[in-house]
Amino acid sequence: MTERATTASGDRTSVPGPRAPGIDGPASAALLKAGRFFTRWDESADGRAVFREGGRAGDVFYRDRWSHDKVVRSTHGVNCTGSCSWKVYVKDGIITWETQQTDYPSVGPDRPEYEPRGCPRGAAFSWYTYSPTRVRYPYVRGVLLEMYRDAKARLGDPVAAWHEITTDPEKRRRYQSARGKGGLVRASWGEAVEIAAAAHVHTIKEYGPDRVAGFSPIPAMSMVSHCVGTRFIQLIGGVMTSFYDWYADLPVASPQVFGDQTDVPESGDWWDATYLMMWGSNVPVTRTPDAHWMAEVRYRGTKVVTVSPDYADNTKFADEWMPAQAGTDAALAMAMGHVLLKEFFVEREVPFFTDYVRTYTDLPFLIRLDPAEGAYAAGSGDTAAPPSVPGKFLTATDLTAGASPASPPDEDAWKTVLLDEATGQPVFPNGSMGFRYADSGKGRWNLDLDGVRPALTMAGPGAEQVEVLLPAFLEADGSGSVLRRGVPARRVGGHLVTTVFDLMLAQYGVARDGLPGEWPTGYDDVATPYTPAWQAEITGVPAEQCIRVAREFARNSEQSQGRSMIIMGAGICQWFHGDATYRSILSLLILTGCMGRNGGGWAHYVGQEKCRPITGWISLANALDWSRPPRTMIGTAYWYMHTDQWRNDGYSADSLASPLAKGHLAGKHTADTIAESARLGWMPFYPQFGTNPIQVAQDAEAAVEAGTAPSAAAYVAGALHDGTLKASIEDVDAPENWPRTLVLWRSNLMGSSAKGNEYFLRNLLGTHHNVLGSENPVTPRPADVKWHDEAPQGKLDLLLSADFRMTSTTLLSDIVLPAATWYEKHDLSSTDMHPFVHAFTPAIDPPWEAKSDFDLFHLLAQKFSDLAKTHLGTVKDLVSVPLMHDTPGETAQPGGRVVDWRSTGEPGTPGRTMPVFQVVERDYTAIAEKLATVGPLADTLGFTVKNVTFTVAEEAQRLARKNGVMLGGAGDGRPAIDTDEKLAEAILTFSGTTNGHLAVQGFKTLEERVGKKLVDLAEGAEEKRISFADTQVQPVPVITSPEWSGSETGGRRYAPFTVNIERLKPFHTLTGRMHFYLDHDWMLDVGEALPIYRPPLDMHRLFGEPKLGPDGAKQVTVRYLTPHSKWSIHSEYQDNLLMLSLSRGGPTVWMSPQDAGSIDVSDNDWVECTNANGVLVARAIVSHRMPEGVVYVHHAQERTIDVPKSEATGRRGGIHNSVTRLLVKPTHLIGGYAQLSYTFNYLGPTGNQRDMVSTVRKRSQEVTY
Amino acid sequence: MSTFLWGVLPYLCIASLVGGTIWRYRYDKFGWTTRSSQLYESRLLRIGSPLFHFGILLVFVGHVGGLVIPEAWTEAVGVSEGLYHFNALLFGGLAGVCTLVGILILVYRRRRTGPVFMATTKNDKLMYVFLVAAIVLGLWTTLVSVGAGSEAHNYRETVSPWFRSVFLLQPDVAAMEEAPIQFHVHAIVGMLLFALWPFTRLVHAFTAPLHYLFRPYIVYRSRDARGTGSRASRPGWSGVGTSDRERR
Repeated sequence: MTERATTASGDRTSVPGPRAPGIDGPASAALLKAGRFFTRWDESADGRAVFREGGRAGDVFYRDRWSHDKVVRSTHGVNCTGSCSWKVYVKDGIITWETQQTDYPSVGPDRPEYEPRGCPRGAAFSWYTYSPTRVRYPYVRGVLLEMYRDAKARLGDPVAAWHEITTDPEKRRRYQSARGKGGLVRASWGEAVEIAAAAHVHTIKEYGPDRVAGFSPIPAMSMVSHCVGTRFIQLIGGVMTSFYDWYADLPVASPQVFGDQTDVPESGDWWDATYLMMWGSNVPVTRTPDAHWMAEVRYRGTKVVTVSPDYADNTKFADEWMPAQAGTDAALAMAMGHVLLKEFFVEREVPFFTDYVRTYTDLPFLIRLDPAEGAYAAGSGDTAAPPSVPGKFLTATDLTAGASPASPPDEDAWKTVLLDEATGQPVFPNGSMGFRYADSGKGRWNLDLDGVRPALTMAGPGAEQVEVLLPAFLEADGSGSVLRRGVPARRVGGHLVTTVFDLMLAQYGVARDGLPGEWPTGYDDVATPYTPAWQAEITGVPAEQCIRVAREFARNSEQSQGRSMIIMGAGICQWFHGDATYRSILSLLILTGCMGRNGGGWAHYVGQEKCRPITGWISLANALDWSRPPRTMIGTAYWYMHTDQWRNDGYSADSLASPLAKGHLAGKHTADTIAESARLGWMPFYPQFGTNPIQVAQDAEAAVEAGTAPSAAAYVAGALHDGTLKASIEDVDAPENWPRTLVLWRSNLMGSSAKGNEYFLRNLLGTHHNVLGSENPVTPRPADVKWHDEAPQGKLDLLLSADFRMTSTTLLSDIVLPAATWYEKHDLSSTDMHPFVHAFTPAIDPPWEAKSDFDLFHLLAQKFSDLAKTHLGTVKDLVSVPLMHDTPGETAQPGGRVVDWRSTGEPGTPGRTMPVFQVVERDYTAIAEKLATVGPLADTLGFTVKNVTFTVAEEAQRLARKNGVMLGGAGDGRPAIDTDEKLAEAILTFSGTTNGHLAVQGFKTLEERVGKKLVDLAEGAEEKRISFADTQVQPVPVITSPEWSGSETGGRRYAPFTVNIERLKPFHTLTGRMHFYLDHDWMLDVGEALPIYRPPLDMHRLFGEPKLGPDGAKQVTVRYLTPHSKWSIHSEYQDNLLMLSLSRGGPTVWMSPQDAGSIDVSDNDWVECTNANGVLVARAIVSHRMPEGVVYVHHAQERTIDVPKSEATGRRGGIHNSVTRLLVKPTHLIGGYAQLSYTFNYLGPTGNQRDMVSTVRKRSQEVTY
Repeated sequence: MSTFLWGVLPYLCIASLVGGTIWRYRYDKFGWTTRSSQLYESRLLRIGSPLFHFGILLVFVGHVGGLVIPEAWTEAVGVSEGLYHFNALLFGGLAGVCTLVGILILVYRRRRTGPVFMATTKNDKLMYVFLVAAIVLGLWTTLVSVGAGSEAHNYRETVSPWFRSVFLLQPDVAAMEEAPIQFHVHAIVGMLLFALWPFTRLVHAFTAPLHYLFRPYIVYRSRDARGTGSRASRPGWSGVGTSDRERR
């Protein structure tokens, strides 16, 4: 409409000639004509529009509707990885709704943008603010509150009152058994906090600070909230349990291969890929705001391939779908590796690949070949020589020992060796662990080969042809067998050695002329691993497809210089052998030179892991400015032991071992391996000792004063040796070793992540449960952990949770505190998926009696400090921590040889063969003051991340000028962090990613060790300091910093390890390169020195569950998988009215028509899933999307929505985790050895749950609640 | 009693209808709606709604014919009482049955379709009672008439004059008294339905968008010449611009 008719339409004459363009036809034209006859109006030339004046009174309604008093920037801290910035609208003091922010800085020309980001779940969030599920007031369990008031009235002291309640067995039973059964009554903040503070003071006094625990996951999703609570727990000496490994989101392969944890590309870098695979990651559902990149990159010609057992949502975007059976992905990856090695390394050499692996991987490094022992010692067939087994990396020590009278320096044991192709002489190149800490390594910790071209293979004149034995796990029951293959080998310094590359070819079954052993006859060899035809039998993926995709993948990488990318996720990560699967897939990427490239490499997205301002957050969270070291704990082992799941564990570590094992795990129960790992200083375990660590510190000091021990640490080592001091784990069920208080905030442990939920209820909480199995008297019992005939029930004195909605966890808690939502507080957010940090801003004050986590912990700290005046005072605390990654501690145990001081008869050496023991002074009366100020250690010691120490004294002064200082008390004159905004400011100030000054300083420090130019990566941003106010204005891109391995310099999209590849900075591993080979004793014993396929655990063999498949009558046994849902983020949103309306709502189980048919179940019928761990009642969703033999029970369907009573127990059916349990893989417990060393959320046993099977049967359709 | 029913009640109902409608239009324009439930269920609605609505339109025409047009007029144009009666019963009955079947489908749908039932208010339920009762009672009068054949009561000598007299403000109570009971009940329920009308979703009948058919389908509305927008100007706020503008 551009032109108005000049005359009133009544005067218009019809256009003669051919039929005029009408509107709808003659009838409507006639009607219109009639209208014109009666009314005069002004209309457009084509008669489609009429113009009128006025009549807009109705506008007011819409103007009012869309006018707001303010629009506030905030986001959602829900661990979805989105970290989407939102506009929150407020009107008359009420939050009305939210819409997506669209002001992300541009990613540059020729590519799509980040804005807008968001999904329907986020858009539904504001519903919670005023929803019926909102926690509005502090609540305390009624029976507990009555007893407390009574005891306090009589005794006059909160701590004494708490003591009486928790030590009187009758009273203890009363409130513990009431957990989860309602009866929460309103209390005042003052009273609720007093009880909590009394419980903490009492626990520290009576049992020790290491019996105090806290759990709050995913700092990146709201750093300030996480930081303040963790800081409180660490200041009082409590234990923070980990989440990344506990969630099984942590890929153990990442430390194993890269020596770094989850450094991954931002989603904008998918746009750079030219071949994109999605392997076990359902991007549209679980990375909704980022999925557009995947869809868009197809328009650049990028091929998209998915691997998933079901017809997942991402499959409809894919050019090709590889439907591998659940849990068999490694078989597919191994076969792809077979094709790749054969066609791109052996039949044809691709210089792009071989140059890459020579510089950046351990492939050219030498591995010693040891003679096989026992039954395998005899040679086979045509070779006379006895076969060998691959052993340890050859090190400089192996070559220099005995060469000179002086013993070689310690670091030589950490210098790995390769052969110079030109001279055939051994070389120990720069960059290995031997150069990282030693003075001699200064300026030499880099990947510069100084002109040496490493020999990839030992083949050639003078090589011996050696038969090697390699473990394989080919049976569905998981039992091992032995492959006989051959490698070329040479003698170096008297040692028979071969390269990792030669071993890789042997492992993958890629034959070369003249080598002994049994080899596949071709790709079509069904019987011999790891051929495409062999994998087809296991995965169901056709061999031709496997070959085709492998070829395309490698050829693309060759032509695009490494731009093949694999987005990988929870579908393959969360299996028991997820680390093995990951290594087999990472191998494809590393062999083809894709790691450390934009558009290439791994893209592991499981959890919102990337807290970009990491140094500030982790240092303040762990209160490193006041005292060191903090107590951090591997969550999986903590819960496995303390919920007594170890008592029901049906297998020993033995059953995982390779037939070639040397017996390091022989006869060991999983609990034994955890105890050993703690004993040797590999992994932490808390509580530490049967004795209160405050007492231990006192005894140690006395011994040092008396001259009976040279140091406190030596005293502890001696006491552990002579048995006067006992490790807690060795009698974990004794009351003195129970965890006593647990604080949960920003977390829904019992509704979301507690694998073995029913064991938590029974043993930890002491309330009703649905455990169906009983302890099997035949199953092996641990040797190092004392067995009590009666398992304790109700270990925990206090479960405290803070949340803004009622969850399974709050229903079980003794005290529930009403938390502020994400629209009611100041905080910070970041993610792996984009390179920005941005703010949470309160749209309204917390309504009703809700308070932010920040205010909660300050209140708690104040009350705690008050009570501590009479009960605790200032004490010394003996803290035991393991050997840490990225510290010299990781070079404590050379060769990865297990030396157990207990079996040697000698006391261990703290910090070498056992944990580090350190005395920490704690002024318990000053906790509140310390919580609110940045302590003096920041100035004197600085903050260290990944072995780069940042000197922050100057920054602390700047912060003091900005935030002001506190006056009086312990924090007198120190920078204030007494509000959430100030703490956010401090986090940003102390991090290189948000403070260019520190980024430059860190790179300068790193340059000294590396000896390569690095500082230019951050120099342009030296003046840039991102303040909290900046993040409230707009999402701000971070600065390239040594805290991470990638670079954003010059507006580049973030991809991990680009600094390593482009600047020759080593990976944080033994060789300084990416590892295919892992030579720790335990790795060799489980047969996982090299990438390998391990089938899913056989739950029939290990736990006596029924065999998979229908039993022909009423029930079918299936794999029980818990992937993430389209309508929720963990447990959040599954109870949200809007999301419930979009989905079926309530507990559901997705089944294939075949499985449903076999037990006569139709869509929407009620079914029960059971196994030894518990029962779930749910409605069946029968869908062709599902493959036979697998059910999906979406993760975190809570007991708050539509959970009826089960027929199996008569009790209310559980949650998705009622049918799961914890299974600990011992190799995840390895420590003290280069990249296989502990750091919080870097390495630890995964709380995997994918290997579960469950029996499904139809139940009565009448349900009661 | 008769005086109240046929002399007072009609005026109360008219007052309620007229006054209520004006009140509703002034204060609840935004709530002036059919409260359509088509989004929740459309299969039954597709049958029931046209049956009912076209049926009730015919019923309305029939009532106009029967009540407003005096018998004398029809006789004047040569329509005999018998012929008139036959036609009225045939078409009136047919329309009535359509309406009744339509409304039964709609009521069934409203009760049996979860989301529709959830969207049903108490107000709706009350309205349905009167609406269905009025239709059923109307059909009853027809049935009785059919049963009586030529003996049937001629309402055009009792009810119709009374109806017209109401609007002449001289209610002929006596005429109405003579009508049989079924007409009495139907008339009372009908009056009450009209009294209720403005307070229910029945108001949508007054604003059926018939004029949409007679105008171009896009309407652009410019702001009123006076004022600065859709909001009424308030004291203390000066207008935008300068007085030059007014002078133009």
